[in-house]
Parts: sequence; structure tokens; C-alpha cells
Amino acid sequence: MLRLAWADLTHHKVRTLLSALAVGIGIMLMLVSRGLASGSMAEVDQRIQSVDAELVVLPAQDNIIFTNGAPFRAIHERHLARQADTDGPLAQTIIPVFFGQVKMAGQQQRLFGVDPAQMQAFLGQRRLVAGKLFDRAYAFAERVRAGARPPEDMSDPAYHAYVADGLELVIDERLQRVGGYRVGDEIQIMGQVFRIVGVVEAGVAGRVFAPVQTLREIAVAGEPTASMYFIKLRKGVRAERAVDAFQAALGTDARVELKGDYGKLLRESFASVGLYMDASSGVALAACFLFILLTMYTMVIERTREIGILKSLGVTRLDLLRLAVVQALLISLSGVAVGIGLAYGVRVFIAVSRPLLTVELAHGQLLLAALVGVVGGTLSALYPGYRAARLDPAVALNTE
Amino acid sequence: MNDELMIDVRDLHHAYALGAVVEPVLHGLDLRVQRGEFVVIMGPSGCGKTTLLNVLGLMLSPTRAESVRIAGHETLTLSDAARTRLRRESLGFVFQRFNLLGTISVRENVALPLRIRRVPVDGEVAALMERVGLLECARKKPAQLSVGQQQRVAIARAVVARPALLLADEPTGNLDSANAGAVLDLLTDLHRRDGQTVVMITHNEHLTVNADRVLHMRDGCFVD
Repeated sequence: MLRLAWADLTHHKVRTLLSALAVGIGIMLMLVSRGLASGSMAEVDQRIQSVDAELVVLPAQDNIIFTNGAPFRAIHERHLARQADTDGPLAQTIIPVFFGQVKMAGQQQRLFGVDPAQMQAFLGQRRLVAGKLFDRAYAFAERVRAGARPPEDMSDPAYHAYVADGLELVIDERLQRVGGYRVGDEIQIMGQVFRIVGVVEAGVAGRVFAPVQTLREIAVAGEPTASMYFIKLRKGVRAERAVDAFQAALGTDARVELKGDYGKLLRESFASVGLYMDASSGVALAACFLFILLTMYTMVIERTREIGILKSLGVTRLDLLRLAVVQALLISLSGVAVGIGLAYGVRVFIAVSRPLLTVELAHGQLLLAALVGVVGGTLSALYPGYRAARLDPAVALNTE
Repeated sequence: MNDELMIDVRDLHHAYALGAVVEPVLHGLDLRVQRGEFVVIMGPSGCGKTTLLNVLGLMLSPTRAESVRIAGHETLTLSDAARTRLRRESLGFVFQRFNLLGTISVRENVALPLRIRRVPVDGEVAALMERVGLLECARKKPAQLSVGQQQRVAIARAVVARPALLLADEPTGNLDSANAGAVLDLLTDLHRRDGQTVVMITHNEHLTVNADRVLHMRDGCFVD
């Protein structure tokens, strides 16, 4: 049967190639869309894990992928700071982060507003590649902590003089390379001109950092709000118990999680988007397998006489069904191979054209593609195979 | 029941239904063929010869019959799977239009019945191809052969698994007289060597010379 199936496929080379290509495009769409999503999530998770902290505090209701704004107020930070046991406060350091948006290197980047004094927690073991980990922003942050306030009128030159020291950015090396930025370059953010003062090794939590005090001043008139917190626990404090304590303190406003669970939270938040992407890939794949079904059906119609010959030689219905399935499987598995090849090609293309995006082609995804190929190929062969098996041999033999 | 009979057909009727129209083709045929007998059936077009051959070849279930025994099996009561098995194990076909598979080589066409039976394809195929004079064409596709060669391939395929009953439907219908004579000689030779039962349909009186018996059909009945 395998010989017959192979002979027939090689006899109709163009049709076979087109069918395999159709499946390959569907498989490629599935792999790239899922790979893009999982690659981006894995990269974000890795970067979050690089922060020197054990816990994250996130808004309770938000989807963490789309978290923006700053729902946490000063009172939340005070509650976090108050949690203590007999040995003292549970938190050694509370690290507020204020998210903003900035368009750099041709795409939107999440802007991490962090206290310059806490920047080392984000840098960890990574090197400073160029410039400084903020410069005059330290002084600006100090003035804000001391209670200095700018004029109310943002058009007042004194306002600009007040925030000028805080208009600094630190970016990561990958963004620097892709955008061709250098220390000293100026970037417009929320109506203010920021200056790049430092470049750090890639892998830090954000690609762009600005002083949290500056972002607060520009966005919420200096209110000490935060989009999320990282918490570094005092030595000896059990993280799970601290999670419970902080969660109880913040109530339903927040969810306190182990930093190690951030990846899981990302995947959960992505579920609805992922469902949409999977549905899109599914429709594309269904169309591809419909193409195989039509190809197989056409083959059955065209080969009615051959099927009659095979029946006259004693080929069983099951064997005819198997023949159709084997042919469809050969097409779909070839399609899977083509799809995987195309996906690697697209990954290279994306790496060149959109270097900030990561396409992850995990072994599990490749196996899933193969499984989709096997199941789709089998299903698409069933009806044509059934039709072939049911053909009347005498009628089939007389078909022109 | 006579085990010497390869074919024992009694009161065979068949009609084709074309929509609401029913067209009777066979009218109460009786046919008995001994094992090893070479029978030729002749008759005008449309008299029911091919329909009879399709019934004998288990490719068509008759509308009505008292009995259709082939190779000792009452086929009227067999399941589709059992009929397929019997066809695979006991029957061989030679068609007027050769009916070779165009996508595989000549050798693979000849070997096909053995592969279907899951029997190892050893020297049998090569020996048979040599015997029909086509060994040098083994790797060619059927379309690359002459019509005479194609029919010899078809005969080789029909007999390679040594079926007990060989059914030939106008095997020389598409051939010139030289090729027709060669094909008949080949069929006769194989019949004599292997002792197969042969039922052959033909219009050609010249092809009846080697037959043990010649039957004539008209309007769905034997007239002899």
C-alpha cells in the first residue's frame, strides 16, 4: 500500500507539492503565532525573574499583560511596610514600579519607572555597558523625597527646571542595538524630552527605565502611586507565609504572588488572547486540511477505475481506506516538515526585521505540529477513503 | 455438490436498474465448468457476457439466482469481505482494456497480486516476466509499452498468484491479429502448464481453437 501511495503522490508531483505547501503554511502560522507568544512571554518572565526580589504585588483585576496606570497608592505601600513578625518587618525592600509607554526602535515599549536608588535591584549581576545608572536623577529623587514640589502650572519655566534633572533614561543593550541609540540621545516621552544616560546588559526587567519620581510627576502630579511592587523579603522570612500576610493586608485590591509564579500568571493572562490566536491558527489549519480532503476526494474521483482494478485484485475496503489515509498522511507530514522549515525561516526573518521580538520554537510545539499533521491528515482522508472503499468494483472498472 | 466443478451457476438472473427503468440482462442462466477446463463464451454485444463474467468474478451480485458456486464456495451468502478474500485468493482477471496501474512500473504491476496477498515477491515475478517476454521492460511504466506488451503484462499479473480460475473479458479486443494470436497462445500455454480453469469472452472465432468448450449467448441466455 505504501508503494502505491507513494507512486501515486510522485506521479502527481505538482498537486502533491501544492497540498503539502498548503499544510505547511497552516503549520507555519500555528508555530509562529504560538512561538511568538510563548517566546515573548518567556522573555518577559526571564526578565522579571532577574529582579532581586521574592514577591510581586499586582493589581487584583488587571490582566498583567496589559497592566498600565498606577492603581496602588501610598497607603498600599505603607500597609506592605507595616507587615512584620517578632523579628521585624517582613519586607527588607519594597520596590514600586510605575509603568508608562514609550515608542522606541519602531515599537511600543513598556517604560519602567523605578527609584534610581533601587536600580541596582534590577541590574543584579548584569553589567552597565555604557554611561551611568542614572545621573542627576538621584538628586531629583532626593529632592522629591525631601518634599519639594514644582509649580502647579506645567507651562511655567520653573516647572521644567524642577523636572529637568529627572528626565533621564536607562535602556538595555538590545534596544540600544536595534534602535541605534547612544548615550546622550534624546527621546520625547509624555511631552518631555528625556535623555539616555546609561545602557545596561540585556535581560533586565525592562528595556527602558526612567525615574519613578519623574513619571509620577508628569502622569499623576507627583502622587506616590505605583503600577506594581517587587518585594525583597528580610532574610529568613518564608515567602509563602509572607504572601499570605501581604495579601491579608491589601485585601481584594491586590494579588500578591511569588515572583517565580510570574510566568504562570503571564500564561493565564494570555489565555484569552491565546485562545483567539489558536482559533485563528485552527481555522487556517482546517482550511489546509480541507484542501487535502479535496485533493484526496479528487484523487478518488480520478482514480475510480484504478480503485476498481484494485478491487478486482482482491484489495479490501479497509486496505483502500488505509491507502487514502497513508497518502493523506504522507502529504500532511510533508506539510509539517515544510511548515517547520518555513517557521524557522520566519523566525530568522523576524530576528532580522524585528529584533525585539522573540519566536520560540519549542520541541513541544514541533511535536504538537506533527500531531496536528497526523490527526488532520487522517481525518481529511476518512471521507475520500470511505468513498473509495464503497465503490462498486464492476461500476468502477467501467468508469472512463 | 460436485467438487470437480469450478463454476456451478443455476438459474442466474440479473437486471440493471437505471432510475425507474429496470433492464433485465441475464435470464435464468445455468453454467457448469469443470476444474481445468478452458471455456470460451461468444455472443453479440449486449447479450450479457460481461455481466456474467462480473458475476463469476464476484464483482457483481446477481439480482436473483438459485446458486452461484465458485471454487466450491456458495457466493450468494458470502459477506463482502469473504467475496473479496475469495476474489483475491482464487480469481484472476484479464480485461480488454488491460487495466494496468499507470503510476507504477511493469514489474510492480505484475507483483501487485502477490503484494496484496502479502506473499514475498521473489523470483516468481521475474520468471513470469521472462516467460511473457517482458523482462527487459520491467522498470518501464505501462504507458511506455505497446498494446500487445501491455496485454501480456496484464496476463502475467492475472496468473502470477496462480489463481484457480482465470476470467478473461475480450483479452484480444484491442489487439491486432498478430498480437491477438500471441496473447491466445500465452493464455493457452499458461492454462496447460498450471491447469487453471479459464473462462474467456471473445467475439473472435479464431480464438476458439484451443478451447475445450465454446458457449454461445444471446439475449441473456445460452443458446447451445
